[in-house]
Amino acid sequence: MNKYILPNILRIIIIFIAQVVIFKHMTFNLDNKIFVHFIIYPATILLLPIKTPRAVLMIIAFIFGLLLDVFYDSIGVHAAALVFTAYVRNIIIAFIEPFEGYNINDVPTIKNLGIGWFVYYMSIALFIHIFTYFSIEAFTFVYFFEIILNSIFSFIVSFLVIMLIQLIFRPKY
Amino acid sequence: MYNVIQLLVKYGAHILFVVLEIICFTLIVNNNDPQKKIFLNSSNILAAKIEEQRNNIVEYSNLKNLNDSLLRQNANLIENLISIDYSNDNVPEPDSLLLQYNLIPSKVINSTINLRNNFFTIDKGSREGVRPDMGVIESHSGLIGVVRNVSDNFAHVISLLNRQTRISCTVKNRRGHGTLMWNDMDPLRMSLESIPKHEKIEVGDTVITSGYSTMFPRGILVGKIESIKVPPGSNSYSVSVKLFNDLTSVKYVYVIQNIYAAEQTLLEKEVVNE
Repeated sequence: MNKYILPNILRIIIIFIAQVVIFKHMTFNLDNKIFVHFIIYPATILLLPIKTPRAVLMIIAFIFGLLLDVFYDSIGVHAAALVFTAYVRNIIIAFIEPFEGYNINDVPTIKNLGIGWFVYYMSIALFIHIFTYFSIEAFTFVYFFEIILNSIFSFIVSFLVIMLIQLIFRPKY
Repeated sequence: MYNVIQLLVKYGAHILFVVLEIICFTLIVNNNDPQKKIFLNSSNILAAKIEEQRNNIVEYSNLKNLNDSLLRQNANLIENLISIDYSNDNVPEPDSLLLQYNLIPSKVINSTINLRNNFFTIDKGSREGVRPDMGVIESHSGLIGVVRNVSDNFAHVISLLNRQTRISCTVKNRRGHGTLMWNDMDPLRMSLESIPKHEKIEVGDTVITSGYSTMFPRGILVGKIESIKVPPGSNSYSVSVKLFNDLTSVKYVYVIQNIYAAEQTLLEKEVVNE
Protein backbone atom coordinates (compact mmCIF):
# COMPACT_ATOMS: atom_id res chain seq x y z
CA MET A 1 0.00 0.00 0.00
CA ASN A 2 2.82 2.36 0.89
CA LYS A 3 4.24 2.40 -2.59
CA TYR A 4 1.04 4.13 -3.77
CA ILE A 5 1.33 7.08 -1.44
CA LEU A 6 4.26 8.95 -2.95
CA PRO A 7 3.19 8.71 -6.63
CA ASN A 8 -0.30 9.86 -5.72
CA ILE A 9 0.90 12.82 -3.70
CA LEU A 10 3.15 13.78 -6.59
CA ARG A 11 0.30 13.41 -9.06
CA ILE A 12 -2.02 15.50 -6.93
CA ILE A 13 0.54 18.28 -6.74
CA ILE A 14 1.31 18.15 -10.48
CA ILE A 15 -2.34 18.11 -11.50
CA PHE A 16 -3.11 20.93 -9.10
CA ILE A 17 -0.37 23.09 -10.55
CA ALA A 18 -1.36 22.18 -14.12
CA GLN A 19 -5.01 23.00 -13.44
CA VAL A 20 -4.28 26.34 -11.81
CA VAL A 21 -1.45 27.49 -14.06
CA ILE A 22 -2.46 26.13 -17.46
CA PHE A 23 -6.01 24.85 -17.73
CA LYS A 24 -7.66 27.59 -15.69
CA HIS A 25 -6.58 30.10 -18.33
CA MET A 26 -7.70 27.99 -21.26
CA THR A 27 -11.37 28.60 -20.53
CA PHE A 28 -13.11 29.91 -23.62
CA ASN A 29 -16.67 30.43 -24.76
CA LEU A 30 -18.54 29.50 -27.88
CA ASP A 31 -20.93 32.10 -29.19
CA ASN A 32 -20.91 33.93 -25.84
CA LYS A 33 -23.26 31.30 -24.52
CA ILE A 34 -21.44 28.05 -23.94
CA PHE A 35 -18.54 28.25 -21.52
CA VAL A 36 -15.96 25.54 -22.03
CA HIS A 37 -13.79 24.77 -19.02
CA PHE A 38 -10.89 22.36 -18.95
CA ILE A 39 -11.64 20.34 -15.83
CA ILE A 40 -8.92 17.76 -15.44
CA TYR A 41 -8.42 17.83 -11.66
CA PRO A 42 -11.02 15.08 -10.89
CA ALA A 43 -8.35 12.71 -12.18
CA THR A 44 -6.60 13.09 -8.80
CA ILE A 45 -9.51 11.43 -7.02
CA LEU A 46 -10.44 9.06 -9.84
CA LEU A 47 -6.92 7.62 -10.19
CA LEU A 48 -6.46 6.73 -6.52
CA PRO A 49 -6.24 2.98 -5.81
CA ILE A 50 -9.55 1.19 -6.09
CA LYS A 51 -9.73 0.01 -2.51
CA THR A 52 -9.09 3.47 -1.03
CA PRO A 53 -11.65 3.97 1.75
CA ARG A 54 -14.44 6.32 0.88
CA ALA A 55 -13.77 8.58 3.85
CA VAL A 56 -10.15 9.10 2.78
CA LEU A 57 -11.29 9.88 -0.77
CA MET A 58 -13.73 12.48 0.45
CA ILE A 59 -11.31 14.17 2.82
CA ILE A 60 -8.69 14.43 0.06
CA ALA A 61 -11.38 15.72 -2.30
CA PHE A 62 -12.53 18.31 0.23
CA ILE A 63 -9.06 19.69 0.92
CA PHE A 64 -8.06 19.60 -2.75
CA GLY A 65 -11.31 21.28 -3.81
CA LEU A 66 -10.95 24.04 -1.25
CA LEU A 67 -7.38 24.78 -2.32
CA LEU A 68 -8.55 24.89 -5.93
CA ASP A 69 -11.39 27.23 -4.98
CA VAL A 70 -8.89 29.67 -3.51
CA PHE A 71 -7.43 30.03 -7.00
CA TYR A 72 -10.80 30.09 -8.76
CA ASP A 73 -12.30 32.63 -6.32
CA SER A 74 -15.32 30.43 -5.81
CA ILE A 75 -15.00 29.11 -2.25
CA GLY A 76 -16.80 25.79 -1.87
CA VAL A 77 -17.96 25.19 -5.43
CA HIS A 78 -15.17 22.90 -6.59
CA ALA A 79 -14.97 21.31 -3.15
CA ALA A 80 -18.66 20.42 -3.12
CA ALA A 81 -18.52 18.94 -6.61
CA LEU A 82 -15.34 16.98 -5.93
CA VAL A 83 -16.63 15.57 -2.62
CA PHE A 84 -19.70 14.41 -4.46
CA THR A 85 -17.53 12.78 -7.14
CA ALA A 86 -15.46 11.06 -4.47
CA TYR A 87 -18.67 9.83 -2.85
CA VAL A 88 -20.06 8.27 -6.04
CA ARG A 89 -16.70 6.98 -7.29
CA ASN A 90 -16.94 3.64 -5.50
CA ILE A 91 -20.50 3.17 -6.71
CA ILE A 92 -19.35 3.64 -10.31
CA ILE A 93 -16.43 1.27 -9.78
CA ALA A 94 -18.75 -1.37 -8.37
CA PHE A 95 -21.22 -0.78 -11.18
CA ILE A 96 -18.73 -1.42 -13.99
CA GLU A 97 -16.81 -4.20 -12.24
CA PRO A 98 -15.23 -6.51 -14.84
CA PHE A 99 -16.20 -10.17 -14.98
CA GLU A 100 -13.21 -11.41 -13.00
CA GLY A 101 -13.50 -8.71 -10.33
CA TYR A 102 -10.79 -6.41 -8.98
CA ASN A 103 -7.52 -7.33 -7.29
CA ILE A 104 -6.99 -5.92 -3.85
CA ASN A 105 -4.11 -3.77 -5.09
CA ASP A 106 -5.61 -2.62 -8.37
CA VAL A 107 -5.06 0.94 -9.50
CA PRO A 108 -7.48 2.31 -12.09
CA THR A 109 -5.06 2.63 -14.98
CA ILE A 110 -5.20 1.60 -18.62
CA LYS A 111 -2.41 -0.90 -18.02
CA ASN A 112 -4.22 -2.74 -15.22
CA LEU A 113 -7.81 -2.81 -16.37
CA GLY A 114 -7.73 -2.21 -20.11
CA ILE A 115 -8.58 0.82 -22.17
CA GLY A 116 -12.26 -0.10 -22.55
CA TRP A 117 -12.82 -0.19 -18.84
CA PHE A 118 -10.82 2.98 -18.32
CA VAL A 119 -12.75 4.98 -20.93
CA TYR A 120 -16.01 3.77 -19.46
CA TYR A 121 -15.01 4.62 -15.92
CA MET A 122 -13.42 7.96 -16.69
CA SER A 123 -16.24 9.21 -18.92
CA ILE A 124 -19.01 8.38 -16.44
CA ALA A 125 -17.19 9.79 -13.44
CA LEU A 126 -15.93 12.87 -15.25
CA PHE A 127 -19.32 13.73 -16.69
CA ILE A 128 -20.95 13.35 -13.29
CA HIS A 129 -18.33 15.64 -11.83
CA ILE A 130 -18.62 18.30 -14.53
CA PHE A 131 -22.39 18.27 -14.46
CA THR A 132 -22.37 18.59 -10.67
CA TYR A 133 -19.85 21.39 -10.88
CA PHE A 134 -21.91 23.45 -13.33
CA SER A 135 -25.10 22.78 -11.40
CA ILE A 136 -23.57 23.99 -8.16
CA GLU A 137 -22.02 26.95 -9.93
CA ALA A 138 -25.40 27.98 -11.35
CA PHE A 139 -27.01 27.02 -8.03
CA THR A 140 -30.43 26.62 -9.61
CA PHE A 141 -31.89 24.41 -12.28
CA VAL A 142 -33.58 27.36 -13.96
CA TYR A 143 -30.68 27.35 -16.43
CA PHE A 144 -30.83 23.62 -17.01
CA PHE A 145 -30.28 23.88 -20.75
CA GLU A 146 -27.17 26.04 -20.34
CA ILE A 147 -25.85 23.71 -17.65
CA ILE A 148 -26.23 20.70 -19.94
CA LEU A 149 -24.58 22.46 -22.88
CA ASN A 150 -21.68 23.71 -20.76
CA SER A 151 -21.25 20.24 -19.29
CA ILE A 152 -21.21 18.46 -22.62
CA PHE A 153 -18.68 20.73 -24.27
CA SER A 154 -16.44 20.96 -21.21
CA PHE A 155 -16.65 17.21 -20.80
CA ILE A 156 -15.44 16.59 -24.35
CA VAL A 157 -12.32 18.75 -24.07
CA SER A 158 -11.48 17.66 -20.51
CA PHE A 159 -11.91 13.99 -21.35
CA LEU A 160 -9.65 14.30 -24.39
CA VAL A 161 -6.94 15.98 -22.31
CA ILE A 162 -7.08 13.33 -19.56
CA MET A 163 -7.00 10.47 -22.07
CA LEU A 164 -4.07 12.05 -23.91
CA ILE A 165 -2.10 12.43 -20.69
CA GLN A 166 -2.88 8.85 -19.75
CA LEU A 167 -1.85 7.50 -23.14
CA ILE A 168 1.35 9.52 -23.24
CA PHE A 169 2.65 8.87 -19.71
CA ARG A 170 1.02 5.48 -19.05
CA PRO A 171 1.36 5.71 -15.26
CA LYS A 172 1.87 2.49 -13.33
CA TYR A 173 0.33 3.66 -10.08
CA MET B 1 -21.89 3.92 23.32
CA TYR B 2 -21.17 0.72 21.48
CA ASN B 3 -24.15 1.36 19.26
CA VAL B 4 -22.91 4.81 18.35
CA ILE B 5 -19.52 3.45 17.36
CA GLN B 6 -21.14 0.72 15.32
CA LEU B 7 -23.31 3.29 13.59
CA LEU B 8 -20.26 5.39 12.78
CA VAL B 9 -18.40 2.38 11.38
CA LYS B 10 -21.35 1.37 9.26
CA TYR B 11 -22.48 4.74 7.94
CA GLY B 12 -19.33 6.78 8.60
CA ALA B 13 -18.69 7.52 4.92
CA HIS B 14 -22.25 8.69 4.31
CA ILE B 15 -22.25 10.88 7.40
CA LEU B 16 -18.88 12.31 6.38
CA PHE B 17 -20.29 12.99 2.91
CA VAL B 18 -23.25 14.88 4.30
CA VAL B 19 -21.06 16.82 6.73
CA LEU B 20 -18.55 17.80 4.07
CA GLU B 21 -21.27 18.86 1.63
CA ILE B 22 -22.96 20.94 4.30
CA ILE B 23 -19.63 22.65 5.00
CA CYS B 24 -19.14 23.25 1.28
CA PHE B 25 -22.59 24.71 0.74
CA THR B 26 -22.29 26.89 3.82
CA LEU B 27 -19.03 28.20 2.39
CA ILE B 28 -20.59 28.72 -1.03
CA VAL B 29 -23.59 30.62 0.26
CA ASN B 30 -21.56 32.74 2.65
CA ASN B 31 -18.68 33.61 0.37
CA ASN B 32 -20.04 33.84 -3.17
CA ASP B 33 -22.39 36.62 -4.08
CA PRO B 34 -24.35 35.12 -7.00
CA GLN B 35 -25.18 31.93 -5.13
CA LYS B 36 -26.11 33.92 -2.06
CA LYS B 37 -28.56 35.98 -4.04
CA ILE B 38 -30.12 32.90 -5.58
CA PHE B 39 -30.34 31.26 -2.16
CA LEU B 40 -32.04 34.28 -0.65
CA ASN B 41 -34.36 34.64 -3.60
CA SER B 42 -35.29 31.00 -3.97
CA SER B 43 -37.76 31.29 -1.13
CA ASN B 44 -39.39 34.23 -2.88
CA ILE B 45 -39.49 32.72 -6.35
CA LEU B 46 -42.65 30.74 -5.67
CA ALA B 47 -44.50 33.67 -4.16
CA ALA B 48 -43.38 35.93 -6.97
CA LYS B 49 -44.47 33.39 -9.59
CA ILE B 50 -47.97 33.15 -8.12
CA GLU B 51 -48.30 36.91 -7.90
CA GLU B 52 -47.10 37.30 -11.47
CA GLN B 53 -49.56 34.71 -12.72
CA ARG B 54 -52.42 36.49 -10.99
CA ASN B 55 -51.33 39.79 -12.49
CA ASN B 56 -51.16 38.20 -15.92
CA ILE B 57 -54.73 36.99 -15.67
CA VAL B 58 -56.13 40.22 -14.27
CA GLU B 59 -54.34 42.49 -16.68
CA TYR B 60 -54.92 40.34 -19.69
CA SER B 61 -58.41 41.71 -20.19
CA ASN B 62 -57.33 45.28 -20.90
CA LEU B 63 -53.92 44.44 -22.32
CA LYS B 64 -54.99 44.90 -25.90
CA ASN B 65 -56.31 48.43 -25.42
CA LEU B 66 -53.23 49.40 -23.50
CA ASN B 67 -51.02 48.02 -26.23
CA ASP B 68 -52.86 49.85 -28.98
CA SER B 69 -52.60 53.17 -27.20
CA LEU B 70 -48.91 52.60 -26.52
CA LEU B 71 -48.31 51.79 -30.18
CA ARG B 72 -50.11 54.95 -31.22
CA GLN B 73 -48.05 57.02 -28.80
CA ASN B 74 -44.88 55.42 -30.09
CA ALA B 75 -45.84 56.19 -33.65
CA ASN B 76 -46.36 59.84 -32.74
CA LEU B 77 -43.02 60.02 -30.98
CA ILE B 78 -41.16 58.53 -33.94
CA GLU B 79 -42.96 60.89 -36.31
CA ASN B 80 -41.75 63.76 -34.14
CA LEU B 81 -38.22 62.39 -34.12
CA ILE B 82 -38.17 62.21 -37.90
CA SER B 83 -39.34 65.80 -38.23
CA ILE B 84 -36.78 66.95 -35.65
CA ASP B 85 -34.08 65.27 -37.73
CA TYR B 86 -35.28 67.29 -40.68
CA SER B 87 -35.36 70.59 -38.87
CA ASN B 88 -31.82 69.96 -37.57
CA ASP B 89 -30.46 69.31 -41.03
CA ASN B 90 -28.09 71.89 -42.46
CA VAL B 91 -30.23 72.39 -45.51
CA PRO B 92 -33.47 74.05 -44.42
CA GLU B 93 -36.46 72.03 -45.49
CA PRO B 94 -39.84 73.47 -46.37
CA ASP B 95 -42.40 73.14 -43.63
CA SER B 96 -44.58 70.86 -45.63
CA LEU B 97 -41.97 68.14 -45.36
CA LEU B 98 -42.62 67.87 -41.64
CA LEU B 99 -45.95 66.32 -42.46
CA GLN B 100 -44.61 64.06 -45.15
CA TYR B 101 -44.34 60.89 -43.12
CA ASN B 102 -47.11 59.12 -41.30
CA LEU B 103 -46.60 55.93 -39.29
CA ILE B 104 -49.03 53.01 -39.18
CA PRO B 105 -48.52 50.86 -36.07
CA SER B 106 -48.84 47.18 -36.74
CA LYS B 107 -48.13 43.76 -35.31
CA VAL B 108 -45.95 41.01 -36.75
CA ILE B 109 -47.99 37.84 -37.07
CA ASN B 110 -45.57 35.63 -38.97
CA SER B 111 -41.87 35.83 -39.58
CA THR B 112 -38.98 33.76 -40.82
CA ILE B 113 -35.40 34.40 -39.82
CA ASN B 114 -33.43 31.31 -40.69
CA LEU B 115 -33.90 31.17 -44.43
CA ARG B 116 -31.78 32.68 -47.16
CA ASN B 117 -34.69 34.99 -48.02
CA ASN B 118 -36.77 36.01 -45.03
CA PHE B 119 -40.19 37.66 -44.85
CA PHE B 120 -42.56 39.12 -42.30
CA THR B 121 -46.33 39.20 -42.37
CA ILE B 122 -48.00 42.09 -40.55
CA ASP B 123 -51.63 42.57 -39.62
CA LYS B 124 -52.33 45.83 -41.45
CA GLY B 125 -53.26 45.91 -45.10
CA SER B 126 -54.59 48.17 -47.80
CA ARG B 127 -57.61 49.11 -45.67
CA GLU B 128 -55.32 50.94 -43.23
CA GLY B 129 -53.38 52.50 -46.09
CA VAL B 130 -50.45 50.12 -46.43
CA ARG B 131 -49.16 49.98 -50.03
CA PRO B 132 -46.35 48.03 -51.69
CA ASP B 133 -42.87 49.63 -51.48
CA MET B 134 -43.51 51.30 -48.16
CA GLY B 135 -40.72 51.05 -45.62
CA VAL B 136 -41.20 49.27 -42.31
CA ILE B 137 -39.28 50.16 -39.12
CA GLU B 138 -39.24 48.82 -35.60
CA SER B 139 -38.38 52.08 -33.90
CA HIS B 140 -36.37 55.18 -34.65
CA SER B 141 -33.28 52.98 -34.51
CA GLY B 142 -34.16 49.85 -36.38
CA LEU B 143 -35.15 48.98 -39.91
CA ILE B 144 -37.35 45.98 -40.61
CA GLY B 145 -37.88 45.84 -44.35
CA VAL B 146 -40.04 46.89 -47.26
CA VAL B 147 -43.65 45.96 -48.01
CA ARG B 148 -43.86 43.63 -50.99
CA ASN B 149 -47.55 43.06 -51.49
CA VAL B 150 -50.73 43.72 -49.56
CA SER B 151 -54.17 42.23 -49.15
CA ASP B 152 -57.14 43.93 -47.49
CA ASN B 153 -55.97 43.17 -43.96
CA PHE B 154 -52.42 41.90 -44.22
CA ALA B 155 -49.14 42.87 -45.79
CA HIS B 156 -46.15 40.80 -46.77
CA VAL B 157 -42.85 42.46 -45.90
CA ILE B 158 -39.43 41.66 -47.33
CA SER B 159 -37.20 41.43 -44.29
CA LEU B 160 -33.81 43.12 -44.19
CA LEU B 161 -32.46 39.57 -43.99
CA ASN B 162 -33.19 38.91 -47.62
CA ARG B 163 -31.04 38.70 -50.69
CA GLN B 164 -33.26 41.21 -52.51
CA THR B 165 -32.77 43.91 -49.90
CA ARG B 166 -31.21 47.08 -51.30
CA ILE B 167 -31.55 50.10 -49.05
CA SER B 168 -29.77 53.35 -49.65
CA CYS B 169 -27.80 54.28 -46.55
CA THR B 170 -25.21 56.81 -45.52
CA VAL B 171 -22.88 57.34 -42.60
CA LYS B 172 -23.85 59.93 -40.03
CA ASN B 173 -21.83 63.16 -40.30
CA ARG B 174 -19.91 61.85 -43.33
CA ARG B 175 -20.56 62.18 -47.01
CA GLY B 176 -21.17 59.56 -49.65
CA HIS B 177 -23.83 56.90 -49.61
CA GLY B 178 -24.01 53.20 -50.30
CA THR B 179 -26.35 50.27 -50.49
CA LEU B 180 -27.26 48.10 -47.51
CA MET B 181 -27.34 44.40 -48.36
CA TRP B 182 -27.45 41.09 -46.57
CA ASN B 183 -24.71 38.77 -47.74
CA ASP B 184 -23.81 36.58 -44.78
CA MET B 185 -26.29 34.41 -42.97
CA ASP B 186 -25.76 36.38 -39.74
CA PRO B 187 -29.07 37.95 -38.60
CA LEU B 188 -27.28 40.68 -36.67
CA ARG B 189 -24.95 41.95 -39.38
CA MET B 190 -25.38 43.42 -42.84
CA SER B 191 -22.97 44.84 -45.33
CA LEU B 192 -22.89 48.32 -46.76
CA GLU B 193 -21.46 48.36 -50.27
CA SER B 194 -20.34 50.98 -52.76
CA ILE B 195 -19.38 53.87 -50.51
CA PRO B 196 -16.64 55.51 -52.61
CA LYS B 197 -13.08 54.86 -51.42
CA HIS B 198 -12.15 58.54 -51.15
CA GLU B 199 -14.74 59.25 -48.45
CA LYS B 200 -13.43 58.97 -44.90
CA ILE B 201 -15.33 56.59 -42.63
CA GLU B 202 -14.29 54.90 -39.42
CA VAL B 203 -15.15 51.84 -37.39
CA GLY B 204 -17.82 52.80 -34.84
CA ASP B 205 -19.57 55.32 -37.06
CA THR B 206 -23.35 55.18 -37.16
CA VAL B 207 -25.07 54.12 -40.36
CA ILE B 208 -28.35 55.91 -41.11
CA THR B 209 -30.80 55.78 -43.99
CA SER B 210 -30.00 58.31 -46.68
CA GLY B 211 -33.53 59.26 -47.65
CA TYR B 212 -32.73 58.80 -51.34
CA SER B 213 -35.86 56.78 -51.92
CA THR B 214 -39.53 57.00 -51.15
CA MET B 215 -39.38 54.20 -48.61
CA PHE B 216 -37.44 55.59 -45.66
CA PRO B 217 -36.97 59.16 -44.47
CA ARG B 218 -33.42 60.32 -43.87
CA GLY B 219 -31.94 59.61 -40.47
CA ILE B 220 -33.40 56.30 -39.31
CA LEU B 221 -30.55 54.71 -37.34
CA VAL B 222 -29.50 51.38 -38.82
CA GLY B 223 -26.37 50.15 -37.06
CA LYS B 224 -22.74 50.65 -36.18
CA ILE B 225 -19.80 50.04 -38.49
CA GLU B 226 -17.94 46.99 -37.28
CA SER B 227 -15.23 46.53 -39.86
CA ILE B 228 -14.14 48.24 -43.07
CA LYS B 229 -12.44 46.53 -45.99
CA VAL B 230 -11.46 47.63 -49.46
CA PRO B 231 -11.65 44.65 -51.80
CA PRO B 232 -8.61 44.57 -54.11
CA GLY B 233 -9.25 46.35 -57.39
CA SER B 234 -12.41 47.96 -56.10
CA ASN B 235 -13.23 51.61 -55.92
CA SER B 236 -15.45 51.39 -52.88
CA TYR B 237 -15.49 50.14 -49.33
CA SER B 238 -17.06 46.90 -48.20
CA VAL B 239 -18.39 47.68 -44.72
CA SER B 240 -19.79 45.28 -42.14
CA VAL B 241 -22.60 46.86 -40.13
CA LYS B 242 -23.88 45.56 -36.78
CA LEU B 243 -27.61 46.26 -36.62
CA PHE B 244 -29.08 48.11 -33.64
CA ASN B 245 -32.17 45.95 -33.56
CA ASP B 246 -32.55 42.20 -33.39
CA LEU B 247 -34.75 41.03 -36.23
CA THR B 248 -35.18 37.62 -34.67
CA SER B 249 -37.51 38.93 -31.97
CA VAL B 250 -39.65 41.60 -33.57
CA LYS B 251 -43.23 41.94 -32.34
CA TYR B 252 -44.45 45.43 -33.21
CA VAL B 253 -43.48 47.48 -36.24
CA TYR B 254 -44.44 50.73 -37.97
CA VAL B 255 -45.16 51.10 -41.64
CA ILE B 256 -43.94 54.43 -43.03
CA GLN B 257 -46.50 56.12 -45.17
CA ASN B 258 -44.84 58.70 -47.40
CA ILE B 259 -47.56 61.05 -48.56
CA TYR B 260 -45.61 62.29 -51.57
CA ALA B 261 -44.27 58.87 -52.62
CA ALA B 262 -46.62 58.49 -55.59
CA GLU B 263 -45.78 61.96 -56.86
CA GLN B 264 -42.03 61.32 -56.59
CA THR B 265 -42.07 57.93 -58.30
CA LEU B 266 -44.29 59.26 -61.09
CA LEU B 267 -41.88 62.08 -61.75
CA GLU B 268 -38.87 59.77 -61.72
CA LYS B 269 -40.58 57.31 -64.03
CA GLU B 270 -41.26 60.02 -66.59
CA VAL B 271 -37.58 60.80 -66.74
CA VAL B 272 -36.72 57.14 -67.25
CA ASN B 273 -39.29 56.77 -69.99
CA GLU B 274 -37.99 59.67 -72.01
